Amino acid sequence: MATVAVHSLTFTYPKRTRPVLDDLTVTFPSGKFSLLTGVSGGGKSTLLKLIAGLTPLPTAGNITFNDQPLAQIAPTQRAATVAMLFQEPSTQFTMDTVTNELRFALENQCVDPAEIPAKVHAALAFIGITDLQDRQLMQLSGGEQQKVALAIIVAMDSDVILLDEPFASIDPPTRLALLGKLMALCTERGKTIILADHDLSNYDQWVDHLAVLDAGKLTLLSPAETQARFAAFTPDKLKLTRVTLPTDQPVVMKGTQLALGHSDRQLVAPQDLTLFAHQATLITGPNGSGKSTLFRALVRLGKYQGLLTYDGNDIQKLPRKQYARSVGLMFQTASSQFLNVTVEEELALSRKFGNQDYFTPERVQGLLTQLNLADHTDQIIYSLSSGQQKKLQLLCMLMMAPAVLLLDEPLKGLDFASIQAVMHILTTAQHDLQLTLIMISHQLSGLDDLITLHLTLADHHLTYKGAQP
Amino acid sequence: MNPSLKLALVILIALEVSFTQVWTINVALIVVSLVLMLACHVKFKRLAWLTVVPLFFASALVWSLALQGTTTHHFLLVIFTRMFVYVYMGGLFTQTTDPLTLTRSLEQNAKLPSKFAYGFLAAFNLMPKIQAEVATIKAAALMRGQVLHVWSPQLYFKVILAAMNWSDQLAAAMTSHGFVEGAPRTHAVTVAIHPKDWWLFGISLILVQVGLFVGLP
Repeated sequence: MATVAVHSLTFTYPKRTRPVLDDLTVTFPSGKFSLLTGVSGGGKSTLLKLIAGLTPLPTAGNITFNDQPLAQIAPTQRAATVAMLFQEPSTQFTMDTVTNELRFALENQCVDPAEIPAKVHAALAFIGITDLQDRQLMQLSGGEQQKVALAIIVAMDSDVILLDEPFASIDPPTRLALLGKLMALCTERGKTIILADHDLSNYDQWVDHLAVLDAGKLTLLSPAETQARFAAFTPDKLKLTRVTLPTDQPVVMKGTQLALGHSDRQLVAPQDLTLFAHQATLITGPNGSGKSTLFRALVRLGKYQGLLTYDGNDIQKLPRKQYARSVGLMFQTASSQFLNVTVEEELALSRKFGNQDYFTPERVQGLLTQLNLADHTDQIIYSLSSGQQKKLQLLCMLMMAPAVLLLDEPLKGLDFASIQAVMHILTTAQHDLQLTLIMISHQLSGLDDLITLHLTLADHHLTYKGAQP
Repeated sequence: MNPSLKLALVILIALEVSFTQVWTINVALIVVSLVLMLACHVKFKRLAWLTVVPLFFASALVWSLALQGTTTHHFLLVIFTRMFVYVYMGGLFTQTTDPLTLTRSLEQNAKLPSKFAYGFLAAFNLMPKIQAEVATIKAAALMRGQVLHVWSPQLYFKVILAAMNWSDQLAAAMTSHGFVEGAPRTHAVTVAIHPKDWWLFGISLILVQVGLFVGLP
């Protein structure tokens, strides 16, 4: 049990004038679940990293655990005091396999070697992932990696658990399951949990006071205001009403006996697959089912079996350069997309080779303003917040206007207002340029105006679905 | 054999071979390494690479030395076989040692600070990631209309940037999983040095000494 208290904390990143956190004072009560929300780049990650001790504090006394600053707690006990689950699932491991990572964490806490196997087993069983124990961490899907990371926190028995948008790349059933585990940790084991999230669905039964971080200040909403915020995420707002089953639309890409995965782990069993031109297709399916693998195969970055054609030609036989301009991929990880240093340079590259007739300087400027990026053009890309990076990434790929644009979780980590802006831009561009958009997204709010076809990947098979009843 | 002892043995022998000129010992070491690699089921393709690459460089070196005309046949033979000794012994070590076991052994047996031991392991685990990153960067550039070649500085700039980013993330990951520099740790898996390992180490070294002594002109 530990109460986390933040006393008048002001934090400014080096070489910046405006503080990210401005004289912030808040107490996170012991054994309670606190939900933190706010615009992208509003300082949520910064606050969590400061609490976790991953970013050094300006003055040590600003954050205390049961009135004790983290620096005063013995090094081997720090992980038992506070632990953090990161936004990016794949970057939180040191070792190769699940069991080895758990062992590593327990060794760091000086747990008696004789007790380690039992603790490892208990933590995996609590999260329900005993079957993953010997798997390679890098081969797990994002959702599975988040489960492993949570199992490690369970094993370390940390009093305070911080989660920075942990569900950003996680399918709804897994998200619910993980939320259930977190609530169990809270109520059964008395853990203090602080979670930052943009997607506010499914929290209504658990959270009374939503904490909103905006412009460096934190406000606690009243129960009524909190429920009003949650209402925007209720299931009937997430319905896709314009979706139909494909009929005789023109075909852009076709897979014949297409299969994904390798011998020991099949993702998609051999099947025929048709992707339709000038449509906006949404692909959904559980974590690790092979959606991103399908995208990598479509842009010739990953292996597949069977035949894939674009406009009737085998994609392996098309010249690489020409094909890359026809079928583009917006990567799930924003930083994979960028080739330059500053926002302006990145935009210049897209302007140079992209669709200049449609994306005129004036239009681009307008889009930047809509995305709240207009003031950031001189900034180094890697110093943008993850949401800002995501928006810039989308704009850069949209300016290229490839005939087929694949979007892998384009809304990951975006706040509600940004999602609205992004979806508006996507819908307009798709309409004006008759683009083929194929999108993977776990987050469904705001998609209704765009999506016309819905592919689901389940049980190793991709099928089109009609409108939801 | 214990990985730390194996590493020490390989380095010691390589040093000795560098300062002596007995080609018979070189050949003996090549044969032993090859037999051990075959016994450990090292893939044929890998063995072929381990042979072709040094063959090219060794031949080129011997050819240029022979053209100079001032060296003896004996020295050419020594130089030629020495190259293979390095590559085969290195191959034997890397192909028969699990990096994680080596890390644990270096930490527990050789008392290397855990910071270095796990740093080494992280670097090792980064290799396949770097390869994948290069492919991704090239593809990302193509989609933006830019062709990056093996010699494009921008490719390396991005790879270095990615690696720097990974190192920050890795440090954060280690910290959040409770790793504190210089703090005591326990070991879930202990790597022991058995008497058998010491015997193997000692006997191998003595055999090489005897061979070198007898073989010296």
